[in-house]
Amino acid sequence: MNCPFRSEDASSDFSLLLDYTAGRLDSQRTAMLDRHMDNCADCAALRVEQAAVWDTLDAWEPMPASIDFNRRLWQRIGAMESAPWYERLAESMRMAHWKPAFTLAGATLIIAAGFMLDHPGGRVPVTGGSSTAGVSVTEAEQVEQTLEDLQLLHQFDSATADVSNVSKQM
Amino acid sequence: MIQGVNSVVGISAAPDLDAQLMLRVKEGDDESFRLLLEKYRNPVIHFAYRMVQDRAISEELAQEVFLRVYRSRQTYEPTARFTTWLFRIATHLALNWLRDGRKERGQQRLDDDRDGEMPAREVADRLPSMEQRMVYQVRLQEVRDAIALLPDKQRAAVLMHKYEEMEYAQIASVLECSESAVKSLLFRAYESLRARLAHMVTGVER
Repeated sequence: MNCPFRSEDASSDFSLLLDYTAGRLDSQRTAMLDRHMDNCADCAALRVEQAAVWDTLDAWEPMPASIDFNRRLWQRIGAMESAPWYERLAESMRMAHWKPAFTLAGATLIIAAGFMLDHPGGRVPVTGGSSTAGVSVTEAEQVEQTLEDLQLLHQFDSATADVSNVSKQM
Repeated sequence: MIQGVNSVVGISAAPDLDAQLMLRVKEGDDESFRLLLEKYRNPVIHFAYRMVQDRAISEELAQEVFLRVYRSRQTYEPTARFTTWLFRIATHLALNWLRDGRKERGQQRLDDDRDGEMPAREVADRLPSMEQRMVYQVRLQEVRDAIALLPDKQRAAVLMHKYEEMEYAQIASVLECSESAVKSLLFRAYESLRARLAHMVTGVER
């Protein structure tokens, strides 16, 4: 029988079967799965196997914590709280979440240093032919000229406005 | 069935009183931290133990988990359930420990540390016979081996699903992956466990 619960592609359906076996489903879905079990020998067998695996896992019950677990923890907390600030900082730096950030920062610094050494003065040489360089310079000049024109225009507008204000006051 | 497992993690659903306790810890109330410690000490130690299968290491990891919780109290924000945050720390530490030291340790610790379990049947039966104890030890070792053979993430997912009774969404949040990825992890993990433990469960009648 080609059952939808028995393939990894349908792991959502498998999880439904897991929840059914664990008794975690609501009554409506439990009834639906009950009907399915009556008609699907594979799923019925899987249910038994899965329940048996869980029973087996139940046998593994670790010992409770050591008697002095709390005392040791509070001791460590006390030591942590009374440590100088630089030690506490070093300790928080030791936390795993920071490690990738440090690696990334280090890599960025190395790349930046390499770039600076390769291009002293911060100028990137134009690699194209002289005509390309010429076009770039021309474009820069045009932009500069436009900006100057705009600035002049703005000054002219301001001056015109001032003149008209003075005339009104007179 | 998953019934019969005394999990405090699965029970503490909405509203998240643990997060409220943690917010009090943030305000300097150490008594609230004591309450959280009492509630989650054993679940965290047991989770770590089942992950690394070494009693001393699991206690050390659990100490580190609670130390980090305490250290992070001032920046704590209840953006997720407290148990999600707690088990995310525990899982990261356990996975890092497994990743960093697997080659050096080899299988030695798994074989050496056999004092980390309490025979569940022993509690019920009080005075198990020598034969019962031996059967239990053999059975337990097979369970441990079957769990130990799972890839780390599958193992973490199974432990949270089986012993902590976490929902798929919460496991996904702890493992920082999608819910469908968790379902896939569980599918493969339980498939392996059924295959490895099949000889122990043959003939079980339901």
